[in-house]
Amino acid sequence: MTAYLANLATLAAIFGILAATLNVAVGYAGIFSVAHAVFFGLGAYAGAQLALLLVPDALLAMLVAALVAGGLSLCLALPALRVRGEYFVAASLGLQMMATTLFTEAKGLTGGMGGLVGIPRPMVLGFEVPTLALALAALVLILLATWLMARGSFGRTLRAIRDAESAAEALGKNINAAKALAVAFACAGAGVAGALFALHMSFVNVESFTLDQSVLVMAMVIVGGTGTLWGPLLGAVLLLSLPAGLSFLPFIPPTEIGAVQQIIYGAAMTLLMIFRPAGLLGDMRTGRKA
Amino acid sequence: MLFLQLLLGGLQTGALYALTACGFALIFGATKVFHFAHGASFTLAGYLFLLMWNNGYPAWLGVLAAILVATGFGVAMERFVYRPIQRHEGGFFTVFVAAFGVSLVVQNLVGMWAGRGFVVADSTLSRATEVLPEVFLAPVFWVSLAVAAVLFLALGLFLTRHPAGVALRALAQNSDLIRAYGLSSHRLSLLAFALGSALAAPAAVLTAITTGMNEAVGHHVMLISMAATIVGGVGSLKGAALAGLSLGVAESVVLNFADPQWAEAASFVVLFGFILFRPSGLFGHAVAR
Amino acid sequence: MRLSRRALLGSAIAAPTLARAQGGDPYVIGTLFPLSGPNAEYGKVFTEGVQLAMQHAQSEGMLRRPLRLQAEDTQALPQQAVVGMTKLVNVDRASYVMVGFTAVSKAVAPVGDRAKTVMVNGGAVGPDLAGLSPYFWNTIPLAHLETREMLPFMMRRNLKRVALVYVDDPLGDAILGILRNDLPRAGGQLVGSFSVPRTAQQFGPVAARIRQTRPDTVYIASFGAQQGQIIKGLRDNGVTVPLTSYSAMNLESIRNLAEAEGLLFTSQQTDFAAGDELTRRYAADFKARFGSDPGTYNTNYYNATRLFCLLAQKLERENKEVNGDTLRAALLEQKEFDLVGGRASFDEQGSMTAAIQINEVRGGRVNTVTG
Repeated sequence: MTAYLANLATLAAIFGILAATLNVAVGYAGIFSVAHAVFFGLGAYAGAQLALLLVPDALLAMLVAALVAGGLSLCLALPALRVRGEYFVAASLGLQMMATTLFTEAKGLTGGMGGLVGIPRPMVLGFEVPTLALALAALVLILLATWLMARGSFGRTLRAIRDAESAAEALGKNINAAKALAVAFACAGAGVAGALFALHMSFVNVESFTLDQSVLVMAMVIVGGTGTLWGPLLGAVLLLSLPAGLSFLPFIPPTEIGAVQQIIYGAAMTLLMIFRPAGLLGDMRTGRKA
Repeated sequence: MLFLQLLLGGLQTGALYALTACGFALIFGATKVFHFAHGASFTLAGYLFLLMWNNGYPAWLGVLAAILVATGFGVAMERFVYRPIQRHEGGFFTVFVAAFGVSLVVQNLVGMWAGRGFVVADSTLSRATEVLPEVFLAPVFWVSLAVAAVLFLALGLFLTRHPAGVALRALAQNSDLIRAYGLSSHRLSLLAFALGSALAAPAAVLTAITTGMNEAVGHHVMLISMAATIVGGVGSLKGAALAGLSLGVAESVVLNFADPQWAEAASFVVLFGFILFRPSGLFGHAVAR
Repeated sequence: MRLSRRALLGSAIAAPTLARAQGGDPYVIGTLFPLSGPNAEYGKVFTEGVQLAMQHAQSEGMLRRPLRLQAEDTQALPQQAVVGMTKLVNVDRASYVMVGFTAVSKAVAPVGDRAKTVMVNGGAVGPDLAGLSPYFWNTIPLAHLETREMLPFMMRRNLKRVALVYVDDPLGDAILGILRNDLPRAGGQLVGSFSVPRTAQQFGPVAARIRQTRPDTVYIASFGAQQGQIIKGLRDNGVTVPLTSYSAMNLESIRNLAEAEGLLFTSQQTDFAAGDELTRRYAADFKARFGSDPGTYNTNYYNATRLFCLLAQKLERENKEVNGDTLRAALLEQKEFDLVGGRASFDEQGSMTAAIQINEVRGGRVNTVTG
């Protein structure tokens, strides 16, 4: 049971990182991306290749993953600087679909559909460490960074952009730089999560980095509450443990288990949104419009 | 000849994309709801038609039932899901997650009820014959184009001539104005959802006859509709329809130049390019900052 | 494994009173199949085979302890599969886990390897699935072997110019390799190969490209709902030549598809009518319980489950503990087993080899073709 819970906790921490970083883009800067899985994937492939080809050092893998994902976040920043709202959603959707095809075709780097196997277990300074510890440490650091950022002047700039972009511009805020920085931070964080994911699973393939995954991460942020510190984490824990918990229901016939679980899962999401539109931890009075 | 064949095939697919995209754009334009469960209307309509067809009901009855179920689903979504959320000023993505949940429920209920896997309405309409050397066309090609043309014509007339249609267009432009004139924006929203969802039904029926359905088909439909709405320019039905048509053609014609694994990505490269270089879409108003 | 030892001890103490009655903690048979999403049809088919084998084992009283089925939904996705696998290994203490699909198999193999839990695949058939772990076995001949068996048949039927439509995964890649290398040696020619994305729905354009290559046959290497769409897309768009494929076509939705008439595909050999007692009972009981004739996948997972029962029975007789190591030792010691469809033999890696047959879809039924 402990190993099972540890595995779930590791995945929850990894998705917690994903949700928390996406929240920086969505909740603080108003950049609605459904391409977070792309950067998750980039990080995972970078971390996996590093571990496979050079050293299975987790810290190095996370660093490289963050650099690769953060560097390529320009793909996302570019449209983010040009368009708003639903247009940006569609742009990120386009990016996600292109990336899925590229991940499938670039077999030399990603292994294609067959994926990368035999990724070694994570080491730190020559000692094997559980992924859970690494993931929790990374999560805490990212939450701390988010908290500091939200309190500081950068956070105020971002919120100003989110709530009234033109006004923020009029006040002399450098909107482009702030947006690009928020996107880079979010994507680098997703990259770190990707590296952890690859080291934890020992196997990655493109099926973990599809649009469905991006939508799931987005749902975590929304369910928990955008723009809150703890909301995305709560959302991640909830949306991961709900299907896991449902698999303990004893009375469903084996061939219908999947469908019944998905129906409960889907219905729960919808009902939650109807009754708590601002998310579980969101402020009902200031439920916001995108 | 290959090019001509691909072009004609693309037109057939594109006509169906145009119908669903136009429905989505109508809903989005009038109500500002990003109706992510539009694909679920499509799935329900397609499966109901299949059920009736396979049980020997006449085709027109099946089509009617498909239209009714799609319309009913759209109206129910607006009434029971979107409206309560919007009362709380729920954001764009709140609506998105709620609709995503509903799509999951519909997809799995359909799977439980109609069986999982590939199903198709067996019909000679979809069987192509050689009309020119190396060019094969099926009767469904003409049917698709005709259905799309007639529906667009009818929709155009409704939106320009009928008072409710005119009000619907006005709602898209300025919902405050509508309220100021004492018109019920709630009733107009329902109308938009009913009309928009109904447009998905003919496309679903034709898809059930040609490429067939599986319970997860709504996902793809949704992606295309969303992409077409953006490429066409938000608020422009003409744009959405034309963009849907072009996405279908692009997906097909790209095979003249590249291998099939790039076909899907090609449509989205077009989408991405549009957003970067012409964010207002084909016919939209400027939205770039 | 602590739990199973305790259970074994328990059953040993209880032995005088219970005699050979089924008692004690059940052996947990875990399944990691797609039960929702686009591949859910396979999950249903796989599970039916497991259920029937468990029913037979219980009614025969093969084992001292009862059997319990624990199904986990993977949606054919790696991450969900790992969650399910850690649950099966650590919470349910499964003795034996059945998997399907390439990505799922590769993702759970390290988990099972660490826990020394036997995993058996009867559905995914990529060549990359051999030798994943000592505890990872296959009760299905890997598909590229099937394709090789198809070549002489194609030549006899004068299907020499072959066009391939494939999904670009390790399986599709392996089939492409065989058609590229072995087909010319057999006297044929690969005239075109078309890779399609897993999510593709429209096959009219691909059909147009295929027609241009003027093939004698089109070989389809995909799986799930997409296979039906490919068949229909080709037939509707002027591709009239015979279609060929491998065992993934053995699905009810394909049999019932009008366009699939005449489809030729390979599968492992099973003669339900003339076979041994085990095979006959299987075919009859399957029809009685599920209302249709069994297909290859039903059989593979029946056999996978049957294999566990045979191995565990042997271990119980020798008063040994049933765990990954003893199961593996028992498998390698015996190597040949009476399963549905005849005698099956396993190699050192735990992959089953079996004779291949060629099937044809006719009037909604699958018939064996000879010659």
